[in-house]
Amino acid sequence: MEAIFSIPFTVLEVPNLKLKRPGWVKQPSAMVMFSMVLFSYFLVTGGIIYDVIVEPPSIGSTTDERGNSKPVAFMPYRVNGQYIMEGLASSFLFTIGGLGFVILDRTNHSMPRLNRILLISVGFISILISFFMCRVFMRMKLPGYLMA
Amino acid sequence: MADAGVKNDIRSNMWRTGAWQSLLTFFILSLAWLVGFSSRLFAVIRFESIIHEFDPWFNYRSTHYMVEHGFYNFLNWFDDTAWYPLGRIVGGTVYPGLMVTSGTIHWILHMLHIPVHIRDICVFLAPIFSGMTAIAVYFFTKEIWSAGAGLFAACFIAIVPGYISRSVAGSYDNEGIAIFALMFTYYLWIKSVKTGSMFWAIFTALSYFYMVSAWGGYVFIINLIPLHVFVLLLMGRYSKRVYIAYSTFFITGLILSMQIPFVGFQPIKTSEHMASAGVFALINAYAVIKYVQSFLTKAEFKFFFISAVGGAASIIFCTVVGLTWAGVIHPWSGRFYSLWDTGYAKIHIPIIASVSEHQPTTWVSFFFDLHILVCAFPAGVWYCVKHVNDERVFVILYAIFASYFAGVMVRLMLTLTPVVCVLAAIAFSKTFEIYLKDDAPKSSGKETSEEPAESKNDRLYDKVGKTKKTKEEKPKDQDAMGMNIKTIVIIALLMILMLFAVHCTWVTSSAYSSPSIVLASYNHDGSRTILDDFREAYYWLRQNTDDKARIMSWWDYGYQIAGMGNRTTLVDNNTWNNSHIALVGKAMSSNETAAYDIMRQLDVNYVLVIFGGVIGYSGDDINKFLWMVRIAEGEHPRDIKEADYFTPQGEFRVDSAGSQTLLNCLMYKLSYYRFGELQLDFRSPAGYDRTRGVEIGNKNFKLTHLEEAYTSEHWLVRIYKVKDLENREKVAKPTIPAQKWKKRTSKKTSRKRTGSIKNQPKIVKGKRKSGKK
Repeated sequence: MEAIFSIPFTVLEVPNLKLKRPGWVKQPSAMVMFSMVLFSYFLVTGGIIYDVIVEPPSIGSTTDERGNSKPVAFMPYRVNGQYIMEGLASSFLFTIGGLGFVILDRTNHSMPRLNRILLISVGFISILISFFMCRVFMRMKLPGYLMA
Repeated sequence: MADAGVKNDIRSNMWRTGAWQSLLTFFILSLAWLVGFSSRLFAVIRFESIIHEFDPWFNYRSTHYMVEHGFYNFLNWFDDTAWYPLGRIVGGTVYPGLMVTSGTIHWILHMLHIPVHIRDICVFLAPIFSGMTAIAVYFFTKEIWSAGAGLFAACFIAIVPGYISRSVAGSYDNEGIAIFALMFTYYLWIKSVKTGSMFWAIFTALSYFYMVSAWGGYVFIINLIPLHVFVLLLMGRYSKRVYIAYSTFFITGLILSMQIPFVGFQPIKTSEHMASAGVFALINAYAVIKYVQSFLTKAEFKFFFISAVGGAASIIFCTVVGLTWAGVIHPWSGRFYSLWDTGYAKIHIPIIASVSEHQPTTWVSFFFDLHILVCAFPAGVWYCVKHVNDERVFVILYAIFASYFAGVMVRLMLTLTPVVCVLAAIAFSKTFEIYLKDDAPKSSGKETSEEPAESKNDRLYDKVGKTKKTKEEKPKDQDAMGMNIKTIVIIALLMILMLFAVHCTWVTSSAYSSPSIVLASYNHDGSRTILDDFREAYYWLRQNTDDKARIMSWWDYGYQIAGMGNRTTLVDNNTWNNSHIALVGKAMSSNETAAYDIMRQLDVNYVLVIFGGVIGYSGDDINKFLWMVRIAEGEHPRDIKEADYFTPQGEFRVDSAGSQTLLNCLMYKLSYYRFGELQLDFRSPAGYDRTRGVEIGNKNFKLTHLEEAYTSEHWLVRIYKVKDLENREKVAKPTIPAQKWKKRTSKKTSRKRTGSIKNQPKIVKGKRKSGKK
């Protein structure tokens, strides 16, 4: 066995190499993974792929009855279309809502009473804000939302 | 409904827990089934029991064929009425699972002497399967997290719009049963990873077989499960259970999937499936190394390991590259490739990019299809990451990949929806669990009554209780305050869930319940007008044209013409032949004479166009027209140029400022023929197109090679007959025949008489031949 292994080394000289795994390569911790996932989720739900493919403007503009052009944040009546900023704004809300649930869970640890109440209210309010702002956005997008 | 499961756990302490729990579970699941079924019936109640849209018509037609002619005839069915001159081998180009499923139900019902028409089975198949999906999701979530979360997940999936969009009554399509198969396969896979028994792995493979027979999305399974195994290996979570589960599943699943005629040898030939084979080789190599490690010394093993890994990796890589280069393995198909390189379809394959469900997703679709679940989803991921184990790795991977794919294509929102339901259910269930329980010490005995699967995760909760007990000086007022706040949080979350149900119902009723072959419009006083133009026109085709008549239309309507009109079509929604479609697109976008040549070559008898300008229907052929031009340009770049159809400013407009090429092409002429004479109301000029909101540019024209055969009531469908070739060329100058006429009457010499023979001796009447004299 040893003889077979040594055949190539009769011709080749073994280089004095020392391979070492770089220090920063290690299995990422759970929370690092989660924040990466959350960030990519933020981008995907914001329609970043749509933005890359279709290349819409960041915000739109319209002309009112007096001929002045004014900016429009939401592309109305179009479920298949968006401006870049509206996508990012709403995916920010989605992420806030998700973090709200996480914060609500964090209140479950032992901590001073004030901190606990503050945490609960922060988590709770972020869920409510994200939920109701999403509804408002939806109304701006589809003015007939939840009617009839 | 879902929270009742959690709430009732408190009460169930008083009675026998197990019995109540199973009764509640059964009750909630059957309610979820019922709710899911009935909220999908909007279309049936509003219109009638009818097959929707485009693809379902083909599925219905082939199911009908299978029920009439038997399964083997169906597998051998060569349909010569589709893709005229080419035909289509239906049995070999279809996923037969859907037809077989409804055919089996039909057969069983007829065995029991319940005479149900096959159409009704097809219409109600998807709603029935949605209930089974809910149950599969319940079991899946139960394996991943807990039974309580499972009940939440089942209720979510029953009404979530992202899934309803593909499973309303009448949308008889592969996805309707495939999502059930998908979730059930995943459940069995989790089960087999957990138990490590071949029994469950074989069942996983069988369920995978059903999925392969039902939907092309099986590729998602055969890539996600190997990925799960691979990540488990990377994380150092390899175990015998994983090895047994994967190798059993892979081998059985591979062989079973090759039994579907449409799939055939793809699993060993195409790149989409190579990942599973690679992981199979890898896990076996890993197992061998593990085994060798057990009797080698450390130094020996190190050498062995490095050489084995290096050797194996290079061999596998070279084999795959070599086989791909040699053409044995096909590279990724365009549809699959466009998932990774998002711009690919836009540049290379307009026919994929042209389908609206292949568009990239905007934020509205996420919120529209998932509502509050889209917020709760990251929290569910967080719980899974925090308490990670073998099966939760799977859910996390599923979540990451599905959300990415859903971002690339609206259509893949469907595969994201189940995992969002699962993870949001975990988030809700966990939150409710924290906030519903009393903090008071008297409840401390209750943890034991929680679902047994949960006991592992209850540690978090216990911590609070324990700290409370140690810090005795923090007395009741905190609890009271805590309870108040908790009640508020719970009530608010319940309100949000209620609004979620309202949203789901609204979306279902307003966006996803239109059959799209029957249109409804609402007047100002709320009364409803039914526009039944499509069926009217297809019925006209069925009654008034020859049995063998060939109908040319854009490919969207191919299945409907075949299904309702029973006539031969040139192209249809099975877009397998790009050049044939491009030829039709070229005919539609050329001028009438050039189009006539193409139509003569293709042997077309009738041309059918959809025109929405009268009623303001936006999905008509003029709005789709640019795609026809693009697809035609892809194949015939010299004849068709997209830029010709725009104004110099780069606008696509049909009014008088529009480009002349557009105003004279066949599609324009067929859509707007005689439309210039029509004045819809007194405020607008004649020829006012309501869809585009403009007065059309080219009003007075005649058709030379076609004639109008039929126009439906609201002008939605217009059918033209292609004229036969004219007998002879028309003579340009009208004076010539008059001259000839004169000549013919007056100057008739003996030579021009009829029947004269050349070089015949002349015979003058009344004289004898001189020689006889």
